[in-house]
Amino acid sequence: MDEQAPAAREIPVDKRHHVESMLMRESLLDKQVMSSTETPVVPMLPFCHVVKIGGRSIIDNGKKAVYPLVDAIRNALGEFKLVIGTGGGMRSRHVTAIGIDLGLPTGVLAQLCIIDALGNAHLLGTLLAPLGVVAIPPEILGHMLPFFIKSAPGVICNGDPPFSIWEHTPRVGRIPPHRTDAGTFLLAECYGCATHTLIKDVDGLYDADPKVNPNAEFIREITVSELRARNLPTLPFDRVMIDLLANARQMKQFQIINGLKPELLEPALRGENVGTIIRKDESS
Amino acid sequence: MGNEGLDRMTWSLLSGSATEQEMARLDTQPVIQILPDANVIKVGGQSLIDRGREAVFPLIDEIVENLPKHKMIIGTGAGTRARHAYSVGLDLGMPTGVLSVLGFFVSIQNAKMIHYLLAKHGIPSIEPAQFAQMPLYLAERQACVCVGMPPYAYWQPNPEIGRIPPHRTDTGCYLISETLGARSMIYVKDEEGLYTADPKKEPNAKFIPKITVDELLQLDLVDVVLERTVFQLMKNAKNRRSVQVINGLKKGNLTRALNGEPVGTVITA
Repeated sequence: MDEQAPAAREIPVDKRHHVESMLMRESLLDKQVMSSTETPVVPMLPFCHVVKIGGRSIIDNGKKAVYPLVDAIRNALGEFKLVIGTGGGMRSRHVTAIGIDLGLPTGVLAQLCIIDALGNAHLLGTLLAPLGVVAIPPEILGHMLPFFIKSAPGVICNGDPPFSIWEHTPRVGRIPPHRTDAGTFLLAECYGCATHTLIKDVDGLYDADPKVNPNAEFIREITVSELRARNLPTLPFDRVMIDLLANARQMKQFQIINGLKPELLEPALRGENVGTIIRKDESS
Repeated sequence: MGNEGLDRMTWSLLSGSATEQEMARLDTQPVIQILPDANVIKVGGQSLIDRGREAVFPLIDEIVENLPKHKMIIGTGAGTRARHAYSVGLDLGMPTGVLSVLGFFVSIQNAKMIHYLLAKHGIPSIEPAQFAQMPLYLAERQACVCVGMPPYAYWQPNPEIGRIPPHRTDTGCYLISETLGARSMIYVKDEEGLYTADPKKEPNAKFIPKITVDELLQLDLVDVVLERTVFQLMKNAKNRRSVQVINGLKKGNLTRALNGEPVGTVITA
């Protein structure tokens, strides 16, 4: 045994047996202690791009929406490493409706929705199989992602975070707040990826739902604080994304693009504004 | 009897046109309690388990004494080794998601130790993937040990300040109690409950036996007894609107808390 090695030391003062560390005996609930933990983060996959493909907006529309987008993805995979997350779409909404009627809580609804998104991941994985791009279930994906992404040009996963029965009850209603937009963003943030793109069936963010209101005004770029101030009633992405972006350390923005215009994918991956870019405030 | 409610809700969800408020209006069914007889008990890591035999054995005895009367889901904290892992991880530049994985590992170790101490009573320990078996274990053996940390792993959201995972074992256990609609949520720690400051550092800190989440947020304490995310989650909760923090170093406190007596700090939303 190396006598010099920092040993576990008994601190008789409070009768708790501590291991010596910066946070030893500190309350992790103390705000002052917490600010001391703000240090730079190592990006794990800064060369990867995370895209989320909408379930209802793209995959549920079948061949006419999916095939052209898959062609665009195929082309992009020559140049870009992609982590592709899928939404659950119509089946997630249906199971949510039945689940709510049966009185099931948010955590159970979250668990049910993960399954539909995984189904869509497999649909996409079948189309991209010749490129070695397949669906990987979340319990394997986590720490294995760097390995998979070195072996294949891309991977597909269900977009949901693995919150399952640990999902948070929202302020109103009981629909899981962390869905596939949020899940893919959290993954991009943890891995320090280059871009995060949400592929939907609208051009981006409008000040009202463009499907309902033809006079809705398009918003090309907006910051978190502006978005919070405007408090728009409908957003084309999970509302919790606003908070996640505000607290992001590595990701500075995300973009919504129209997947029915697949030619927008590559410019979006290059960081060009071809939809709506939501930006983190400079100072926050 | 028609099924109009379900029809309207299904249509709103499928069309995707409803706002959150409209959806909430259609959401008229009460949330069921999945395990209404189960009590979720969180055994503190730094506060209890890191004290070793002196603190843990009497608590194990008290859990065993209560088996005939109460169903218990026992989640474990992480404690000092998590602090060590977080410190090294922060120094190396790990993101919050990786720190969350490290914290989960320490919480697993503690769950395993508590499990082995309870094993002779036939009490199992489960990981998140095995939660579907929990109702059977509770019906058969009255208790079940699990990891307190939520399995967010690489998907752990960042905190507002710093980099330590904001959803740790207090939150993980709380969410089990909320989702499963448990009978109670009891945090077993080494203080009587909530104080106006950390009583380990401030001898003049005042004890607070009962408080609402709103009052607590208004006090804006520098240090609190539970992870702050629990308070926000309690405000949104459908099932679990109160939790109790008790001193597990005092024999009898857990039993009294299980019997519904206020023995520590009761926090309500």
